[in-house]
Amino acid sequence: MAQWQIAMIMMIGYLLVALLIGVMAGRKQDKASLEEFTVAGGNLGLFVMWFLMGGAVFSAFSFLGAPGWAFSRGAPALYIITYTAFAILPWYIIGPKIGKIGRKHNIYTVSGFLQKRYTSKGLAMLIGIITLLASIQYLATQMKGMAYIFNIMTEGRIPFWLGALLSYGIVVVYVATGGLRAAAWSDVFQGILMIVISWTVGLTIVNQLHGSVSEMFMNLTDSNPGFLEIGAEGSTMSPMAYTTTILVSTIGFLMWPHLFSKSYATNARTIKKTVLVYPVFALFLIPLLFVGFSAVNVIDPSQVGSPDEILPFLITTALNLPGWVYGLVGAGALAAAMSTADAITHSASLEFTDGFVRNVKKDLSSKTTLLIMRIGVFIIGALAYFITVFGGQGLIALLLGAYGSIVQFAPGVYAALYSKRVTAPAVITGLIIGTVVNYYFQLVAETRPLDIDAGILGLICNVLIVIIVSSFTQVKEMPIAEDYRKIGS
Amino acid sequence: MSKQKFAKIYSLSLLVPFLLMIYPLFSFGNRETPFILGLPFSVFWVIFWIIITFIIVLLLYRIDPDKDEKEVN
Repeated sequence: MAQWQIAMIMMIGYLLVALLIGVMAGRKQDKASLEEFTVAGGNLGLFVMWFLMGGAVFSAFSFLGAPGWAFSRGAPALYIITYTAFAILPWYIIGPKIGKIGRKHNIYTVSGFLQKRYTSKGLAMLIGIITLLASIQYLATQMKGMAYIFNIMTEGRIPFWLGALLSYGIVVVYVATGGLRAAAWSDVFQGILMIVISWTVGLTIVNQLHGSVSEMFMNLTDSNPGFLEIGAEGSTMSPMAYTTTILVSTIGFLMWPHLFSKSYATNARTIKKTVLVYPVFALFLIPLLFVGFSAVNVIDPSQVGSPDEILPFLITTALNLPGWVYGLVGAGALAAAMSTADAITHSASLEFTDGFVRNVKKDLSSKTTLLIMRIGVFIIGALAYFITVFGGQGLIALLLGAYGSIVQFAPGVYAALYSKRVTAPAVITGLIIGTVVNYYFQLVAETRPLDIDAGILGLICNVLIVIIVSSFTQVKEMPIAEDYRKIGS
Repeated sequence: MSKQKFAKIYSLSLLVPFLLMIYPLFSFGNRETPFILGLPFSVFWVIFWIIITFIIVLLLYRIDPDKDEKEVN
């Protein structure tokens, strides 16, 4: 049997198992319950929760992008493990508090959380729309990863459109039927698979190319001095850019609705224990960086289409590895992309329904809301699919802008938790200006002041505006603000 | 220990390793030599502080006065 046949059989086998687990997890649960679909009844255990949060980090970006960064940029790739380890830490304090507020006021989304605190429909609708656009962008990158991996591991026999359809189609089916619980259990399976693969295959590649990890680094520092330092001569990133990239990823991480809303899906103790064991996930990523470092000077960058293709390129072309390794890496990359895609699809549908649809059309029963959310999963899935396969340039720029805007939720969220003085007009103006500034420096401007990350520039404007506008728009009585501030602290 | 006090201790003690990962303090770790455990110093620095952070969170959890956040409303 040819290599690609073994790989294809393994990847399809993986997809079937993923589907089975997803569908089985949702079985026997109350299909008519809105609470089950949105937050899995609020009772997910530690093991599942850990993988659910971890699966979101192990995305197509970490599996294909992290080796790519290490290969093409060197030391700046360290930002990936840094932010993975640190971004979760605030959740220990704010997660239980958000969960309590949610249980008291019956909230299960970011838009619901902000709408209640700021009594503003406009804000909730804005959050709903930004989340939808940002999620589609996020999904498109995951889907490209899935389709690409299918294509290369079968040596071009499964076309782009089919690979994306197969793998993402399965995600849509289990999310729409089983809701959060299905996504969570699939993530456990996918998470274990990814960890095993990144360590075994990652270290095999390093050893085949260089003998050992330390020899690899010796060779690298001899031939490319400065490659493993930030801002040195021969380095690809300035200290300011490195620092602000870490900051924006760390602050933005918990603002993603699919992570934020997990605060409602479990109890305080589980949240704390999840944070406790989470930095281990950052360490799991290390071999993937090593793969990228190992290819420097071995592979000529002009041979690979883009740096992100370095891991599959090494396996299929540069090294003589057996077909089952193709299959394993294929399955691992699919797992990485799918475990992110399921959570994002789920939360995009929730946010848009709760933030936008319910504010446009009032008095929806919880039964209708649940139906809209299930249908939403299919619609968002289809949208993301068509944009991935046929996407146009203008649309892609719009989505990228939204993607960078998620971090701009942070002032509104933290103010809701800890301040009673911040007002709705302040948060809305801050969010809009922050988004525009981010968009301008990310996609329009040629250079940025002091080489600061676009998201941080937006955030600076955002925070200033929130403070200034709040002081002009004080209202006397805001009992809900006091309530939010007091719960759980 | 009160809850607010714990939150403060938590934030401050984790801020320290975080600041060591970004500039200006990252300049201490930003060098290729010496090699430690086969890793260049910059790579070792990042991994080392992540492990220390992991240990700090474990200790913090032990002294957390309210692990279950009992719902008192």
